[in-house]
Parts: sequence; C-alpha cells; structure tokens
Amino acid sequence: MRQIAPSPPPGTDAAVLPRAALAAPGIATPAAAEGASPLPAPAQARRAGGLGDAAWPWQLASFVLVLAAWEIAGHWPVSLAFPPASRVVAAAAEMALAGDFGRAYAVTLPPLVAGIGIVGITGVALGIAMGLSRAFEWFALPLMVVLQTAPIAAIIPLLTYFYGVSATSKIAAVILLAAPIVVLNSYRGIRNTNASLVDMCRSFLGTRRQQVTKIMLPHASGMIFAGLRLGVSAGFIGVVLAELLISPTGIGDLISYNRSIARYDKMFAAIVSILALATVTLSLLQRLENRLFRPDHAVP
Amino acid sequence: MPKLGRLARHAALVVALALTGWSDPAAAQRVIRVGQADTLTGHNLPELIGLTNTEKRMGVKFNVVALKSDDVVFQAVINNEIDIGIGDAYKGIDTLKAPVRHFFLLRRVAYFPVVNSEFYKTWKDLDGADMAVHARGSATEAMAVQMEKANGIKFGQISFVPGSEVRIIAMRRGTMKATLLDLPNSRKLTEEDPKKFIVLPVETQSASDEIFYATTKFIADNKPLVQALCEELLKSLRAVNADPKAPARLRQELGLLKDLPKPLADDITPYFELAVPGGLFPTDGGGIAAAKADFGFLIAAGRFKGSVDDYKVEDFWDLGPLNAALAEVDKK
Repeated sequence: MRQIAPSPPPGTDAAVLPRAALAAPGIATPAAAEGASPLPAPAQARRAGGLGDAAWPWQLASFVLVLAAWEIAGHWPVSLAFPPASRVVAAAAEMALAGDFGRAYAVTLPPLVAGIGIVGITGVALGIAMGLSRAFEWFALPLMVVLQTAPIAAIIPLLTYFYGVSATSKIAAVILLAAPIVVLNSYRGIRNTNASLVDMCRSFLGTRRQQVTKIMLPHASGMIFAGLRLGVSAGFIGVVLAELLISPTGIGDLISYNRSIARYDKMFAAIVSILALATVTLSLLQRLENRLFRPDHAVP
Repeated sequence: MPKLGRLARHAALVVALALTGWSDPAAAQRVIRVGQADTLTGHNLPELIGLTNTEKRMGVKFNVVALKSDDVVFQAVINNEIDIGIGDAYKGIDTLKAPVRHFFLLRRVAYFPVVNSEFYKTWKDLDGADMAVHARGSATEAMAVQMEKANGIKFGQISFVPGSEVRIIAMRRGTMKATLLDLPNSRKLTEEDPKKFIVLPVETQSASDEIFYATTKFIADNKPLVQALCEELLKSLRAVNADPKAPARLRQELGLLKDLPKPLADDITPYFELAVPGGLFPTDGGGIAAAKADFGFLIAAGRFKGSVDDYKVEDFWDLGPLNAALAEVDKK
C-alpha cells in the first residue's frame, strides 16, 4: 500500500511514503498533522462549496456552544466547585487587571522557552542522527520509546532528587515531555525519505552530504517542524505539571492557591488562560508550518 | 417439561431467598466514607481508634481514604463523594457559603520555625530571608505569614517543599536555612545538632490542624452516628493524653495499621510522648474556643478579613453533636 503524501517537501517531487512507516504511535505524520489542524483546509472548503475561507463562524459557534453549556452547568449547579463561565470570565479580568497573570507567566514561560529551546536544538539533532546512523538509532530509540510511554506525571516529582525545587526541575520536565516527540518525528522524517530519490541522487554521483542536505533534510523538514509544534504542546503540559507537582509557582501556583482557598472561579480562570495561550501558540505555529511546508494549506 | 420444572424450582428458590431477606451481612453494613489529606501512619492512631470503636458501637464501616490535599477532600465532601472530611473547611465555607460544618477538633497545629544558627539567630535576621513551608495554602504557609506580621518582618520568598522529612534533609545539607517543622521533626533536628539548629520563639499556637467536618445534611441525617463518633474520639484523645503509650498498645489490641513498617511502628510512642505534652491533642473536641482561635489565626494569616467578632461560630461549626457527646462522656 503506497500513498501520495499530501505535502511534497520543498526541493523534491511528490514524496511517496509507506503508510505503515507513518503510522507509528505519537508520531506526527503529514496526514495526522493535517487532522490536528484546528482549521479546515480552505482549499477543501472551497471545493466543498461551503463557507470558503470563512471558517471562523463555525469556530465562533463552537466556542459559544461550549461557553453556553458551561454557563448552564455552572448555574445548575453541577457542583459548588464548578462556577459558571461568566464568573470565570469576570475573575480572569480581575486577575489580569491586578497583574496576577503577568507575574505568573513571567515565572512559567522562561523554563518553557528554555526547555523547548534545548529540545529544539539537541532533540532535532539527535533525531536526525538516529535517522542517519544505525548506531544512534539502536542507542537512543528504545530510550525515546520508553520516555514516550512512561507515566511522566509519576516521574516528575522525582526530579527534585536531582535538581531540587528550582527552575531547572521545570526545564527538565519540559524536556522529558517534549523530547520523545521531537526526536522521534525528526528520526521518522529522515528515515522515511523516499529511497528512489536517494538512489537518484546517488546515480547522479551525489555525495553523502548532498544526499542529506539536498534530499533527506528537505524531505524531513515538514515532519521535524510538526514534531517541534507538538513538542511545544507537550512542553506546556510539562511546565504546568512541574508547577503543580514540584513547587507551586507561576501559573501552577495560581491554580493550586486558588483551589486551596476555594476560589474556584479564579482557579478555572488560570486554567483557561494557559489553555488559551497554548492554543494561540499552537495555532500560530500551525499557520507557520502550513506557510513553510504546505503552501496548499496555508491560510492567506 | 422436566427442564421447565427445574427452572420453576430455581426461580421459586430465588424468590424465597429474596423474600426471607437473605443477604450477605457484610454487604448490608453501612459504609461511611471518610477522607483525609495524608497517608495513614501511626500519628493517625487517635482518630483510627475512635473510628474503630464507633464502628463496633454503631454497626457501620468507616472507609478511610487518603486524598492528595485538604482542598481535594473538601471538594469531595461538597460533591457527596466523601461523607466526612478531616482537615478544615473554613475558607470553603467562607467563600462558597458551602453547607458544611465542622463538628470535632482532632489536632492543633504545632509547627516551629527552625533556622540554621550560622546564618540566623533572631527573627530580625530573617527579614528578607527565604522561608520554606509545606505547601501552598497549607497551615505552615498561613503560619509563615502570621509570623511575618507578628515580628514586623518580610520574608524574601516563601518557598514550598512538601514533607517535613524532605525539609529536614535540606536543612541538614544546608540547601535550606529556615523552615517550619512539625513538633517531632523540629525536636529531631535540634537534638541532632543543638548548636547549628535552633528554634525561634513563637507565641502559643492554638489554631486547628485537623477537624472533622461534613455537610449539614449528613450531620442532620446522622445525628446519633455523629454524636457517637464525637464520644469515641473524645475517649480516644483522653486516653492518649492520659498515657502516650496507649496508641501503640491499642493498635495491637484493635489490630490497626497491621501493615505499618517496623521503623514507623517504633516511632509511634516517641511521637506521642512529644506530641501530648506539646498540647497537640485537645480533650474537649474544640467547639467555640477552637473556632475563635481559628478565626484569629486565619485573620492573622490574611485568609479572613476583619476581626474575630465578624465571624459567627455557628456558620462554621455544628456544636450540637459535640456538646451532647461532652455531656455524655463527662457524665460517665
């Protein structure tokens, strides 16, 4: 079974990728990346004769529907600890004006950025090395697979034995969550390079360096970027887990403190704020990915 | 036809058993769900003894579960997933006007500011210094804030390191220089190296650490049970206060905490020999005096606003079961 990849890598013809190679769990595939997109492809929408570029009414309707259901459930009430959406919005505004979010994110974001930065450089390099070298693959692949399937929430508190309760523990948590995704996507991106293209390069007397730089890396770039995007998503989870499980600081402190004093409206506001930030960040990265690697899906 | 006959006989047997009330006695026993934030250790023996004696007396079964934190216990109580919570619900009642009331004080807070004397010798030295406490929203954090106000200082940072045992290790290693520790652990550290570790002076602590609470509906629907529980807890705490060796002895007699590892079992009597003279276990079940002390503590810690007189005891406590239990136990 062979399948035409939806996004031909720059510099190559349409890539032909085996489905099985793309279907490894936790690996971003071009198809999976497309499915993960919060936006329906405008091209598809145009073909379907629907709303065309105007997907936003559907997104808005989705938000309104969820918020309305939340509001009703809050007034029902489902629980005293479950405030209606309107109260959460008011609490979010109050916290924003008081500078609570600003102070919290000033603590939460630096370890996240540092962790993603480290994974972005070393993780991609390791993934590429694994894709190019059997020795690296044998050495690192089992470790990455184990990390990917490990119950990280149980491991994160143990980080204090190595790094104490400092920001280093948070960076380590981000790396633990993000590294397997980034490394394995980079590895798969290289390893799934169309063999015909590599053969073609070789037949034109291309050197190994040219095979890598002219064929493999351009071919893998889409998956590497998709891995980085999913790594950022995992990094958000890692930093919040660390702040909840190791030392309540930043946004984790806002969540745990407000829960401890039964200010559930503020607790939900803090949770919604990190969800919103993560969603906006990932949407922007998705757009960038579409623009760079899948121009047929890019939103103008 | 014979098959039908057998089927009819089996059906008749089932109906007969159902009509005669055949059932598993264990299944018929009513289960009361009790939630608390800590894993059960030998330090919890006073309440376990009280609960066990209440089980025998009232024919119920207490299912004690350990949840992650006090606020999770409170949520479980207001969501009716737990019948009786152990911890405190002051802030939840105040903020949410939750229909929850305390009914028995089990243990008072007793945390002491232990500092590394190579760096700090007085409260003034701690102005701008870091102070490590148990967790966000915990009694130790409230105490740290109270101590800042009482001594006219401001800590540089209040950091959160769960577990007295963990903070002891950090103090020994020198990575932590000031913390709040419970009574046994503070004694352990100061006796280990009295020159290096000292306890700064604190006012007498009378705030509550662990209180039994439940929804108003549960208390109203189970008055005899709640009163019996108060009586048995009173008896248990009085026995512990009269003889700190009693918890270890009663553990054997009642078959409690059978799986407790030997080092923890050996720690039971030394703990109570320290805790009892330290006044950790009140013998009156709390009540009005405890509630007012808690209001004062929460105001000093910045959790409550205004003055003690702004808060009504009956908004936070149901004194009925405790008063009835005190009358009953004192009569005997």
